[in-house]
Amino acid sequence: MARAVTTQRKAINTAIAWAIGLLIFFPILWTILTSFKTEAQAIADPPLFLNFDWTLENYAIVQDRSDYMRFLWNSVILAGGSTLLGIVIAVPAAWSMAFVPSKRTKDILLWMLSTKMLPAVGVLYPIYLLFIQLGLLDSRFGLVIVLMLINLPIIVWMLYTYFREIPGEILEAARMDGATLREEILYVLTPMAIPGIASTVLLNFILAWNEAFWTLNLTAVDAAPLTAFIASYSSPEGLFFAKLSAASTMAIAPILILGWFSQKQLVRGLTFGAVK
Amino acid sequence: MAASRPRSLLRNLNAKIAAIPMILTALVVFTGGTIWTVAYSFTKSGLLPRWQFVGLDQYERLWDSRRWLVSIENLFIYGACMLVFSFVIGFVLAALMDQKIRFENTFRTIILYPFALSFIVTGLVWQWLLNPDLGIQSVVRGMGWESFTFDPLYNAQIAIYGVLIAGLWQGTGLIMVLMLAGLRGIDQDIWKAARVDGIPTWKTYVFIIIPMMRPIFITTLVLVASSIVKVYDLIVAQTGGGPGIATEMPAKYVYDYMFGGQNLGQGFAASTMMLLAVLIVVIPWAMLEFGGRKRG
Repeated sequence: MARAVTTQRKAINTAIAWAIGLLIFFPILWTILTSFKTEAQAIADPPLFLNFDWTLENYAIVQDRSDYMRFLWNSVILAGGSTLLGIVIAVPAAWSMAFVPSKRTKDILLWMLSTKMLPAVGVLYPIYLLFIQLGLLDSRFGLVIVLMLINLPIIVWMLYTYFREIPGEILEAARMDGATLREEILYVLTPMAIPGIASTVLLNFILAWNEAFWTLNLTAVDAAPLTAFIASYSSPEGLFFAKLSAASTMAIAPILILGWFSQKQLVRGLTFGAVK
Repeated sequence: MAASRPRSLLRNLNAKIAAIPMILTALVVFTGGTIWTVAYSFTKSGLLPRWQFVGLDQYERLWDSRRWLVSIENLFIYGACMLVFSFVIGFVLAALMDQKIRFENTFRTIILYPFALSFIVTGLVWQWLLNPDLGIQSVVRGMGWESFTFDPLYNAQIAIYGVLIAGLWQGTGLIMVLMLAGLRGIDQDIWKAARVDGIPTWKTYVFIIIPMMRPIFITTLVLVASSIVKVYDLIVAQTGGGPGIATEMPAKYVYDYMFGGQNLGQGFAASTMMLLAVLIVVIPWAMLEFGGRKRG
């Protein structure tokens, strides 16, 4: 922490840290830059850095060929829908664990968290069968449910840790004033927990947005989100790097922009609430 | 008192009801699904699940399969290297940042960005950066070092390390930020006391700071370990398991047998083995984390 650090030392540390940061950011930067090149420039040897003719044609082609907007829309619905549904189910559960704990609360939490650690392949087939039976294969509704289920343990856990920081007396005071349970949760607890809920929503949105295992396996065409869209470009014969970069850039842009404007929530969320 | 009693009973009842949807979904879907998979791993299921008991046949075939053995070996290499390197790099970066740098919040965001990307994007980007004709190798050769060779994805011997690089790139930021939070949680006076006693900085880190950060180390360990066992998307996007079977992973084995190989029983047996492996990691952690707290 603040061990007395001289200005000079601080400048050096800053320089080193930023060099590392740049190194880490470079692959992303390179992908974004390449998306504005022509295919020929993208594989030019030696690689071109900034001195190329900037073009938007890749974006036009990608949109033209594979109806990017449909995949994007699916991603928004899947990530948004599963997050919303998850929060609706998790808030009451986290409330009950944080404010009306029973002897078993800790056990339930632990067991719930451990389900998140189990390899998803273990439940893939049963869910697949269930989906066939219910006709949910390749439907947005079915995937919203699945994505919500797999992230639910994390949502509940994070909300629980945030709720526990809120003094129970405040809720009690609301109850004394005659608030019903619904009002207590909706109008007293939720507003106070907004920062925590925001981090949870952001984390869950990103997790659902990036989820590939389930979306690749349970969708074909209709409900396929951006992960499936990009994965379709990964075939070895499809060496269209500029277009691939354009597609990747479009897929990651929402996350990068969202993250940039909510840095605090992003850090808090992505570290599963461990960083306050 | 008498009036509040039924009310608190009602409240407890409400609390139970509030938690039911979550408990039901976790119970039915995860526990139910897992038990189903384990049960069917002892059957002869082929194209469709069939309840024809064959004992440990599937497991014998599994452990006779060269592809499964390669998958396990890869998982161990990837897992061990991932743990060691990501912890070392993550901790060193965190210690560096702990010295107070400018624009720290922005730096933290940038270093977390890779973690916010899907494995699919990571896999593709690194497939490209490690391509000898387009990526790092061609850049270094272009700068005049003609004999420079760096093509891990095209060399079956070291392909798994190519995957490791991408995995590290994606995961190290998270560890750094967690470690930083741990370092920040350490009392200032410890540093002062160490300095007064003339203990060198590195010794303070190794013998005082790191042992004090045990809880955050354990949390990080569990997060990283559980993500290692599940590694699937990265392989699919970056190498597709190749060259040959050089970068196969257990999760991919399971998937391929369930949906591609028309041999469900094999897939179930393999996923049961993965389940066992995870339990070996999770149970000791659970005992440490939760068993200990109850006593204390």
